[in-house]
Amino acid sequence: MASAADQELIDHGSLADPAIQARPNAFYRALRHGDPVHHDPKLDSWLITRHEDILAVQADPITFSVNKGYHTQQARGMQDEYQEILRTEGGGYFPDAIMSDPPYHTRIRKLMENAFTAHRVKALEPRIAATVSELLEKVADLGQADAVKQIAVPLTIRVIVEQLGLDHGMEEQFSRWSVAVTAQIGRMQDREQMLENARLICDLQHYLIGKMKAREEHPAEDMISDIVHAKMPNADGTTDVLTFPEAVSLIRAMLIAGNDTTATAIGKLFYLLATKPGFADLLKEVGEDDRRLTRFVEELMRIEPPVRALSRMTTREVVVGGTTLPEGAHLLLVYASGNDDETVFPEPRDFDLDRANLGRHVGFGGGPHRCVGIALARMEVKVMAREIARRLDNIALAIPEEDIRYVPTVATHTIESLPITFTRRTA
Amino acid sequence: MGNLTVTITDVNGEERSFSDVVEGLSLMESAKARGVAGIFGDCGGGCSCATCHVYVAPEWLARVGAPDDIELDMLDMVSDLQRENSRLSCQIQMRAELDGLAVTVAPSSM
Repeated sequence: MASAADQELIDHGSLADPAIQARPNAFYRALRHGDPVHHDPKLDSWLITRHEDILAVQADPITFSVNKGYHTQQARGMQDEYQEILRTEGGGYFPDAIMSDPPYHTRIRKLMENAFTAHRVKALEPRIAATVSELLEKVADLGQADAVKQIAVPLTIRVIVEQLGLDHGMEEQFSRWSVAVTAQIGRMQDREQMLENARLICDLQHYLIGKMKAREEHPAEDMISDIVHAKMPNADGTTDVLTFPEAVSLIRAMLIAGNDTTATAIGKLFYLLATKPGFADLLKEVGEDDRRLTRFVEELMRIEPPVRALSRMTTREVVVGGTTLPEGAHLLLVYASGNDDETVFPEPRDFDLDRANLGRHVGFGGGPHRCVGIALARMEVKVMAREIARRLDNIALAIPEEDIRYVPTVATHTIESLPITFTRRTA
Repeated sequence: MGNLTVTITDVNGEERSFSDVVEGLSLMESAKARGVAGIFGDCGGGCSCATCHVYVAPEWLARVGAPDDIELDMLDMVSDLQRENSRLSCQIQMRAELDGLAVTVAPSSM
């Protein structure tokens, strides 16, 4: 039997509620225990909240379609208008080629996998460290900063801008564009915001298409050139090139997917450093121990996964966790709840570096759609954590904790702005 | 078609031998293409997950070699399943000296 408080959350709570979005763990727990495959009427989505059920869905990409799930969620309720704006004003409506199903997905994904292997990312570490140092040094003696807007967001944008070969000095523009794209799967925009976001995405697409045209003529050592000139091998030995819409969608995806999410993770890192007792000391302790620091970052991804929930859609009637779902049901895999599942991670709210099964967390998803930028995300957070430990001390919130605002969205758990104070570390 | 032989005991304990394994591909790619249970290779061979974890038969350990630091970081994520002879099969490139290799798929970390 669920407690009265839990039953109240199950009956009347919704992931569409900004208060639950901001502080969601009690809601997740109530669902896991009382209604683990829960229909959220405000979202018209089924929330999949137990770790084992998330794994089962991820393992079957044919029954649980990302293509239908993602593209159904995109601008849901206003889709025709959204797509029409992109077609008429944005150079085209380009469905996300990576948000697709096997076997098509398998070929597209292969192109992306080679770009961000752990070994290739390792080679980027010095460059990332230099960027992190520059950002932290800029604020270290000021004693205060907005950890999200001045540190986390600029870092992740600079890294992806360098990899793609885009222009420096446009961080704020890229940030606005990213927010506009991710808002399409956030389910919280009204029509006015959708129109504004759609026009920002039009600008983004024109910018990217311009860069692609330039690289078609003059290839450079960057990932836009790689995508524009990519050859996908066929079984018979011939090769295909990407279509123009596919290429635009992949470059757009790389730009967006890698910066908002990783910046969210770094925002959470600062939040925990400022608020969680013992957390800053723990980071100091492990900061120079590479293996322990790697675990620290992974446990951060478990306890505060940046991506809260992503979509699937059933392609047939199917049973999930004992509940029969019809064909065409929209699902949200609530990764943050899976990572909070006490049957897999005992005392899930404890930050515990020594979890022997840490690799089971679903903060990066899993199955064939597991985050493709996983190594880059880990590296950016790890280098940031290490450099914070070296340079900053006494990190504290500059605003009351209850004033921290989260981006309204079901997709991520993102702190909008995080004013903090600190001192420069002396010893 | 390749001509290397590999014997894999899958996650369910079933042993299968393949005598057409291609030189130059990773063991993960070869195993996944043949539907070996328990080899997922979620990250595509990038050494970024631990879903292609195998235990190398002791007599093959020296020739297969030890994992590097990046691979050890990933194996450490599944320390409940990690053993002395753990490797991520995406990091084992098939080559002539591994003809006859025997491995056992580790229990699922998922």
